[in-house]
Amino acid sequence: MSTITRLLIANRGEIAVRIARTAHRLGMSTVGVYSEPDANALHVDSVDVAVALGGATPAESYLRGDAIIAAAIATGADAIHPGYGFLAENAAFAQAVIDAGLVWVGPTPEQVTLLGDKVAAKRAALDAGVPTTSMIEVVDGRVDGEVTYPALVKAAAGGGGRGMRVVRSVDELDEAVAAASREALSAFGDGAVFIEPFLERGRHVEVQIMGDRHGNVVHLGERECSIQRRNQKVVEESPSAGISPEVRTALCDGAVALARHVGYEGAGTVEFMVGADETITFLEVNTRLQVEHPVTEAVTGLDLVELQLRVAAGEALPVAQDDIAVTGHAIEVRVVAEDPATGWMPSTGRIGRFSIGRHGSDPSCLVRVDTGVRDGAEISSDYDSLVAKVISHAPTRTEAARRLARALRDSQITGIRTNVDSLVALLGEADYLAANTPTAYLDEHPEVLTSIGPEGDDRVALLLGAVFALEADRRDVDGATPFAPSGWRNLRTQGQRQVWLEPTGEHLHVEYVMRPERLSDGSTRWAASAWLGPWPEPDEEGALTPDDRIERHVRLLDRRIDGAAIEIDGHRHNVGTEVVHHGIGLDDDGVGAVTVHTRSTAGALTVTRAPRFALHDAQAEGGGPICPLPGTVIAVHVSNGDSVADGQVLMVVEAMKMEHKIVAPSDAVVSEVRFAVGDRVDQGDLLVALDHGDTA
Amino acid sequence: MKVYPIGTAAHGSDLRFGARRGRSTTVTDVTIGTVIRSRLDTRSPEYQANLAAMQELWDGVAAELASVPTIGGQRYVDRHRRRGKMLVRERIEALVDPDTPFLELSPLAGWGTQDPVGVGSCTGIGIVEGVECAISGSDMTYRGGSGNPTSWKKGSRFHEIARENRLPVIVLNESAGADLPRQADLFIQGGASFKDLTQLSKMGIPSITMAFGPNTAGGAYTPGMSDYTVFVKERGTAYLGGPPLVKMAIDEIVDEETLGGADMHSRTSGLSDYLAVDELDAIRITRGIVRHLGWSKLGPGATEPDDPPLYDPAELLGCASADVRIPFDIREVLARLLDGSRFEEFKPLYGDKLVCGWGSIHGFPVGILGNNGILFSEEASKGAQFIQLCNKRDIPLAFLHNITGFMVGSKAEQGGIIRNGAKLINAVSNSTVPHFNLMVGASYGAGNYGMAGKAYNPRFIFSWPNHRVAVMGPKQLAGVMEIVARNAAAGRGMEVDEEALAAQTMGLESQIEHESTALFSTGRLWDDGIIHPADSRTVMGMALSAVHSNVVQGATEYGVWRH
Repeated sequence: MSTITRLLIANRGEIAVRIARTAHRLGMSTVGVYSEPDANALHVDSVDVAVALGGATPAESYLRGDAIIAAAIATGADAIHPGYGFLAENAAFAQAVIDAGLVWVGPTPEQVTLLGDKVAAKRAALDAGVPTTSMIEVVDGRVDGEVTYPALVKAAAGGGGRGMRVVRSVDELDEAVAAASREALSAFGDGAVFIEPFLERGRHVEVQIMGDRHGNVVHLGERECSIQRRNQKVVEESPSAGISPEVRTALCDGAVALARHVGYEGAGTVEFMVGADETITFLEVNTRLQVEHPVTEAVTGLDLVELQLRVAAGEALPVAQDDIAVTGHAIEVRVVAEDPATGWMPSTGRIGRFSIGRHGSDPSCLVRVDTGVRDGAEISSDYDSLVAKVISHAPTRTEAARRLARALRDSQITGIRTNVDSLVALLGEADYLAANTPTAYLDEHPEVLTSIGPEGDDRVALLLGAVFALEADRRDVDGATPFAPSGWRNLRTQGQRQVWLEPTGEHLHVEYVMRPERLSDGSTRWAASAWLGPWPEPDEEGALTPDDRIERHVRLLDRRIDGAAIEIDGHRHNVGTEVVHHGIGLDDDGVGAVTVHTRSTAGALTVTRAPRFALHDAQAEGGGPICPLPGTVIAVHVSNGDSVADGQVLMVVEAMKMEHKIVAPSDAVVSEVRFAVGDRVDQGDLLVALDHGDTA
Repeated sequence: MKVYPIGTAAHGSDLRFGARRGRSTTVTDVTIGTVIRSRLDTRSPEYQANLAAMQELWDGVAAELASVPTIGGQRYVDRHRRRGKMLVRERIEALVDPDTPFLELSPLAGWGTQDPVGVGSCTGIGIVEGVECAISGSDMTYRGGSGNPTSWKKGSRFHEIARENRLPVIVLNESAGADLPRQADLFIQGGASFKDLTQLSKMGIPSITMAFGPNTAGGAYTPGMSDYTVFVKERGTAYLGGPPLVKMAIDEIVDEETLGGADMHSRTSGLSDYLAVDELDAIRITRGIVRHLGWSKLGPGATEPDDPPLYDPAELLGCASADVRIPFDIREVLARLLDGSRFEEFKPLYGDKLVCGWGSIHGFPVGILGNNGILFSEEASKGAQFIQLCNKRDIPLAFLHNITGFMVGSKAEQGGIIRNGAKLINAVSNSTVPHFNLMVGASYGAGNYGMAGKAYNPRFIFSWPNHRVAVMGPKQLAGVMEIVARNAAAGRGMEVDEEALAAQTMGLESQIEHESTALFSTGRLWDDGIIHPADSRTVMGMALSAVHSNVVQGATEYGVWRH
């Protein structure tokens, strides 16, 4: 028995914060570590003492095992918790920790080594009687056995889908084995591959196990993590809604059998694929705390980090299998800084505002949010894209999904793109609610990925929130006639007009005419007629196009510095707004841009004001398109000498988190592409010099 | 096309909302005046009937206003747009700061004349880059934006407003020059507009001209006389003589672009200071020029709390009598016009037909002279004293006209009505604080002069739709003429042809009735526009703010007082 009084947490982000929470509850003090970009991160503020590791990349910081052990010794820590990722499944590091006389919170280095090799792990599983399909080993490129199709070729090392190939017939096999092996070698430094049956429409189900050094092993039920994109889990839940009680028993018993077989200590996860026909394939064992452990905590009421710390200190597991009951249903979603609509393109930058499920005053509405970020946090490309895990727990799966969706709608993460809108759409999608969720779920439901968030009048309310926030800002800076009603005219020919840009680049036109309404106490409340959509523009004949917009009757029941209560045709919407001015001045001359982050219980929407005027200087000289906003070139579609047509996309510039397509203003020949992918471009830069021929 | 409400009945009251910054609305004991208690029962049938009559009058005005933007005719509007051009008011919408107000001046100038309603131009006061500017644009869709006699009058008034109030001038020009068939009523006086521009420049009042289209012949001097010029590429042109005239005069064959194109003027002649890619670009450049002016106002600005009146300004529509023969209490107007309905009445017990006192509109202190009946000697001398006080204190004066004239009759004459009236006219003539006329009813006879009418150069004149203005009421005028006719007949010993005289009297009455209306008046530039009464606080606020662009300074010298 050892006593842990000071725990070093060798990790960052949400998991470091989460481990510290339990450690503190158990009366321990904590030591954190941080890289240079993380010097002021939430996880560093969440520990008692923190030690600089230097550097920015993982290799320069969180993967420096020697520096971490030195930090533990220097700060008097007596144990190291590795979290997940980084050094969590590094047997050499585990051994070094133990050699340094510290407690290693995790399975023994031998167990880590054994189970880290998928082929060895599968052999152990087969030996232990774990239910699984067989495995065909590949020795020196030679397939050692009879393959049934479809089959899956997998790398023995690593994970994340790399070194993996589906083979449908025998003539594809050799090529697939060679390719998978090549890929595995380059990714993991180990080209070993093996073959197992491929389960069509399979589900990913895993069992949480926990063992101590006194020979006790329990399972804490299963988790289903089938919904994945590129083999990264997106939604995890417990229990699995897609397996029979018999399969559940087989999985849990098998997991415990395997743990006992290897004398497993600490927390681990035994992963399986379950086919539509209930065929079970053992995948691997993760010898660490999983990202998705909170769903297990929710349904069992146990604190897995506490159990880890207790068994690491040599205590016996405080719970026996019979004590463990699964209550209700828990769902976790991973909020990531990636844009599902653009193929999960990573989004980096500074978070403005971060809040999830703010209506948390009623405990029955609460969701659990595990995060390592807060307002102002920087999302860097050096680390993974996980922003937060949001976990709901309710008596039924449907209720858990609804509560989780509600919390996500009621969230706001500004400054970066996230998958929140997609998660909300997913949690309300029929197949999801019917638990029809094989691992191919996201491929089969692309509409979930392109969800735009709030729709209909919920979306209109958010847009109007932005419109009236900007309107109020503009009235506020009118030093000459602040007393006059907004946009007052004694001869009106048009309303007040604004054009906004959605994150997708779509233009949103709003026209409004405001009128003050006098209340009985003499004060004024604003009302407006509003029309959404493009206003009539002259057609080729010069006549205005028909106006099919519908007048919306809007009242601003309440206006605050951070939002408004907006009534649209008699329906009240409470909208929160935050106006961000980029650069000096208002939006008028394209000098600066205005972004408004809006939110309501229906969701969040960020819109940017389109500049009223374009800067034409370069074009005036016959040049070509100029950069609308400072940004980065992310695609170049033309080369010098190309003939381009009016409207053809020449280049794509990412600015303000939006992709701006740079198009040819007329038919022309490219005389010079002036920037390349990755180049920083400034507002007003001539991007592509064009020769229009006739303007010479 | 969407139909927008004309002259929205937007009462300019407390427009800021709770959490936002603004001038303090805390009313303390340092504010001017005490609260007026209204006695108007807005639920009474009399009020409701009057309200309905006023609404009808306004509807007539609104219909005229609605016709103005496309007065050139749909065909020409479409042709203009087909060429990728914006209408003049669309250009102004793009020019002014978003969500700020724009006060169009004399929108119905030309009404009832040979010239079109609105006279093919748009003038007004708008906010550009935070600066109150005098903005003027020509409407190319009406006879090629050419000038007519009334448009010259409107332009002249525009320059006067810019000069007196020290407002930077922005001109959105696109004009074929003078409407040639009408040259006789235009050519000689019209030349003053170029003198106006250079004199503004001399006074340090900047002028910026945007050339959106042709600036032909004399029109070429509009950019020529401006401090700054912005030419729209391939659109703006300026030449003294167009290609046909050049061919006629010197037998040179030349294209428009070479002769006076934007590019030529930007690169060769130097007439154009800035070359704009398109109309919006010209507007963007102009806004940039205004930014560098570093303009600041010379007046003290709003110094009083800007709290809404206790009584709803929307009720102004029903306050004044639609029929100017029915008297009403001017204090009911003040209770809905002044900040917090506060008014410090001067000499309330003396000369009570002329209500004088101090209050504020949107925080701008103002001295009020309002009619509650005709002017007697007491009213005239009280007014003269009040005007002198306001000049000593540098407080602008608002004259609320509802006046049928000075008292006549032997008693009045013996009481020195001319001598006392002369004091009032001396005062209004030589007062140097800004004057405003708000025509809330009749303005007849010398009463118009005593109340600093048009001939006395008020900075701004705005009328309500019930306004009547003439030398006297139509009935009185016709009656006077009838008596004169009878006396003449009697003098010649002739029999009066009763039937003919009755017809003549009736005809004269209806002629004068027509010539006294607000529309007739505004058509001749006797005012700066008819406004919806409920807009009075907003319009007066904008006018007051505009005069504070210049110094607000009272007079120290007057003509000889006839004591």
